[in-house]
Amino acid sequence: MRPKKSKSRASSRAVTAVVVMRLYIADGAPNSVKAVANLEAICKEYLKDGFELEIVDVLDFPRRALADGVLVTPHLAKLSPSPAAMVVGNLSDRRSLLGALGIHE
Amino acid sequence: MNATLPSRVHAGGGVVIERVANGRILRLVKSGPARQALESGEIDAVLDAATGTAFLLPEARRALSPAGGPIANSLLAALPREDYQSLLGELEPVTLTSRDVLYEPGERISHVYFPNDGQVSLLKVMADRKTLEVGLVGHEGMVGVPLIQGVEVSPVRAVVQGSGSALRMDAVRFREALGRCLPLRYELSRYAYAKLCQARQLAACTRFHHVEARLAFRLLMAHDSVRADEFRLTHESLAEMLGMRRVGITNAATALQRRKLIGYRRGKIRILDRKGLKAAACECYQVVGKLARVPLLISARARAVRPRA
Repeated sequence: MRPKKSKSRASSRAVTAVVVMRLYIADGAPNSVKAVANLEAICKEYLKDGFELEIVDVLDFPRRALADGVLVTPHLAKLSPSPAAMVVGNLSDRRSLLGALGIHE
Repeated sequence: MNATLPSRVHAGGGVVIERVANGRILRLVKSGPARQALESGEIDAVLDAATGTAFLLPEARRALSPAGGPIANSLLAALPREDYQSLLGELEPVTLTSRDVLYEPGERISHVYFPNDGQVSLLKVMADRKTLEVGLVGHEGMVGVPLIQGVEVSPVRAVVQGSGSALRMDAVRFREALGRCLPLRYELSRYAYAKLCQARQLAACTRFHHVEARLAFRLLMAHDSVRADEFRLTHESLAEMLGMRRVGITNAATALQRRKLIGYRRGKIRILDRKGLKAAACECYQVVGKLARVPLLISARARAVRPRA
């Protein structure tokens, strides 16, 4: 994938490569709703348009989630740029989420 | 699709999740972020590699249930909303398949069932294996009444007669729920009384009423339970319920068909003229219908004195 420059002007926070993520949720369940909101907030603040996020509802696609090694939801997988990382839970722990996404404050 | 978390889930990768009686996760046999998140209540669903299914944890199930929509089972619908909400985490949706036996006589009652639709027939089984229906449970009721009175063993065979769905609750949790939820206890006391009266009515009906009238009564009850004009009910099942030979049922059904009250094709009965069928039925249909609506003064009082959280 061709790296894309972030539109963010906050140079210290800017991420040059597009961050590709996949979030596995149980749509409508409380922690999943929180996880989506928390991730969206982080993306808006740090990544602007420099990210791709796919949300997979495990209630609709359990086998796909299992094939991807997902055991519990919410589960966020950062696929690229490397290193790949994952976070489970409702993503309210900002520091571990930023760490997994490779964002340095 | 989502389902209730079984007592043991093999989530793959050597991870085993076990559940304790109160629905909380006991342990995740592996350390790591999943375990941490699970322990801090940040998990909604667990994936089971063995069945390829996602299991919702109780909190998530409660949130995803259509609590804002109509509640299909009348007993549950009669509860104050917060009591209903508190039970939801322990209620597990199940499919009722025609001819499934929920309990045999003398068997331990493992679960109670609150049908949403479909119907469950309670059959008294005699030593020579002849049967007679002594109760019928549809969306207005619950299967597993002995547990309300503290009896763990079923005196009857409970068999599904029309496919549908139900919410079921483990017997241990049901007893706990009865202990803490006063409105549930009173609703079920009222229901147990109505069931007792229904059984008395059925006893008299079997002795005094003509088979055609009894069949019309039974078909109206089925019509009410399944909430559909057409439902599957074979002559064999009807013979089991009404304690008759199949030929007797066939004759009575043919008579009702000739009067254009019902249609019958390949085991499916269609109600063509409900008003006419009511006229053909014995008085028991009206009596049993009134029983289901009998109010208990205690029920209103229970709600009035209920401590507010």
